[in-house]
Amino acid sequence: MPKKLVDGNEAIVQGALRAGLGFYAGYPITPASEIMQGLSKSGIAFVNAEDEIASVSMVIGASLAGKKSMTATSGPGFSLMQEGIGLAHMMRVPVVIVNSQRVGPSTGMPTLAAQGDILQAYHGSHGDFVSIAFYPNSVEECYKYTIEAFNAAEEAKCPVYLLTDGMLSHLFESVDLDAVKISLKQRDLKPLGHGSRHFTGLLSKEGIPKTKDSIYYRQWYKSYKDELSNAADNYKFYEYIENNNSDTLVISYGILSRAVFEFKGEFALFRPIRIFPLLEEIKEISQKYKTIIVVEMNDSQYALLLEAFLKREIKKVPVLGGLVAIDELRKGLLNE
Amino acid sequence: MNDLIKQEMMPAIWCQGCPLGIILAQFANVLAELGLSKDNAVIVSGIGCTGRFAGYMNMDSVHTTHGRAIPVAEGIKTANPALNVIVVSGDGDLLGIGGNHMLHSSRRDIDITVICINNELYGLTGGQLAPTSQIGAVTLTSPQGSAVEPINIQGLSTLNKKHFYARTTPAHVQHMKKCMSEAISWKGFSFVEIRTKCITRSKSPLFKTGCDLLNWLKTEYKITDENRKLKDNEMGIIKSG
Ligand SMILES: Cc1ncc(C[n+]2csc(CCOP(=O)(O)OP(=O)(O)O)c2C)c(N)n1
Repeated sequence: MPKKLVDGNEAIVQGALRAGLGFYAGYPITPASEIMQGLSKSGIAFVNAEDEIASVSMVIGASLAGKKSMTATSGPGFSLMQEGIGLAHMMRVPVVIVNSQRVGPSTGMPTLAAQGDILQAYHGSHGDFVSIAFYPNSVEECYKYTIEAFNAAEEAKCPVYLLTDGMLSHLFESVDLDAVKISLKQRDLKPLGHGSRHFTGLLSKEGIPKTKDSIYYRQWYKSYKDELSNAADNYKFYEYIENNNSDTLVISYGILSRAVFEFKGEFALFRPIRIFPLLEEIKEISQKYKTIIVVEMNDSQYALLLEAFLKREIKKVPVLGGLVAIDELRKGLLNE
Repeated sequence: MNDLIKQEMMPAIWCQGCPLGIILAQFANVLAELGLSKDNAVIVSGIGCTGRFAGYMNMDSVHTTHGRAIPVAEGIKTANPALNVIVVSGDGDLLGIGGNHMLHSSRRDIDITVICINNELYGLTGGQLAPTSQIGAVTLTSPQGSAVEPINIQGLSTLNKKHFYARTTPAHVQHMKKCMSEAISWKGFSFVEIRTKCITRSKSPLFKTGCDLLNWLKTEYKITDENRKLKDNEMGIIKSG
């Protein structure tokens, strides 16, 4: 197939359909709306929901009813979804949630890009768990990692995030999406209407609530965490460019990495694509470098996590959301 | 008890004398009469004392977060229209925290049935003021008595041109079964309000036994067969469309 001009949001639409999406519910928000608009024309089961709380609840219901399900939003809507995300973890429901980030808090600068929801994606909901999250940096990757997000959701039986941002969602690139080949994970959860299972947000064992059993809670939590991280192990996506002339590793992700990778002459570069759970590979790679710099379009959210993960000090270049000039990056990276 | 209730889960967690047990048993009878079973029906509840309802049914069931039973049910129904999807939940759950979903799923006329057990307060959390509490109701958070009118469930449920609303009580078993049965058979969004009181938290009146509570409901409410706006103490079915 010939190459076509496609933007990030359209690639997400195409990726979701390729993955077998059967249900979408959503509420419009810049810069994610085109995903909803695109899917409204696709013929799949679709709801214009009253808000993002309803959207996430509907995708949970639809997924239990047997359809691969997705919703897409931006920061404020992602906040409203956090309650439902907790439910999806407790009930172990595969759903995909896209968060196209904009500059916040609140309505902030809604048409400009940011990476301000990194910690929200890490621990934004109540309780104790980390969702699997992917953060592509190109239109082709938006397609690819949407499909992988569906695969990971089916495999781990939990909500999986695809993070993007206002710039990547609206970035047009010339791509041949049909040339991308990824095998699909099929459902092994029987749809509703086939038994007497009880799906509940309460801690439960075989459908029977266990609301006072702290020992069982600890067992349940450990086995869930293990299952989730074993599943995530099959999705260890990252990009690493070694540089033997540099003792500095620069870590960046998402759209910003496109600019940061311009500095490959000066530094070694690392880009997590499966951004959560944190990649063990960063530990080994980072050992080779005297200095680690994390550049991100927020006030050092990922750097904060990495500092604890790597147990060493990280140099932070928090460029914040909005338009980023390459000179600003150069200044931050080279101390100019 | 018929086999649509999980016998192994009995006795239920509800307080002694709470009418939820009667409602559960009659609900299971109605489903059996309509030929609904684990092969074609799903029960969805929110959070609260009533929220435990779904877990006692011997069929696939979902116990959602507080207030979200309706959108979860809408997701299920939209994804698989062949399923009969029935929500059973509390008044606080459906009309307080979940009120927005009630407005919009009914407007979209999703073919689900919502059964609201209205005990006029937040039972599970200990008896606080709910949007359904009557003027003057003394609760843990309205020690001087509620100053405002309760939410108009009948009005909300009949807002759209096409609608189905029924009001009944667990003290009127045949009427309650008829309301549930007609609502489940209705094509489109249907809403059944089952008026009751909380045996443990109700302050006005105070009930000693479940029998007292049922007798009170029996004298308080009267059945009408007319398809028209119900008065405060009336039970009946209003439908259009
Ligand atoms: C988001 C959220 N807020 C508050 C609560 C606490 N909560 C649990 S049940 C409940 C009220 C339930 O009242 P109602 O729906 O009337 O049901 P009942 O217990 O009376 O049957 C509340 C406030 C919660 N679980 N989740």
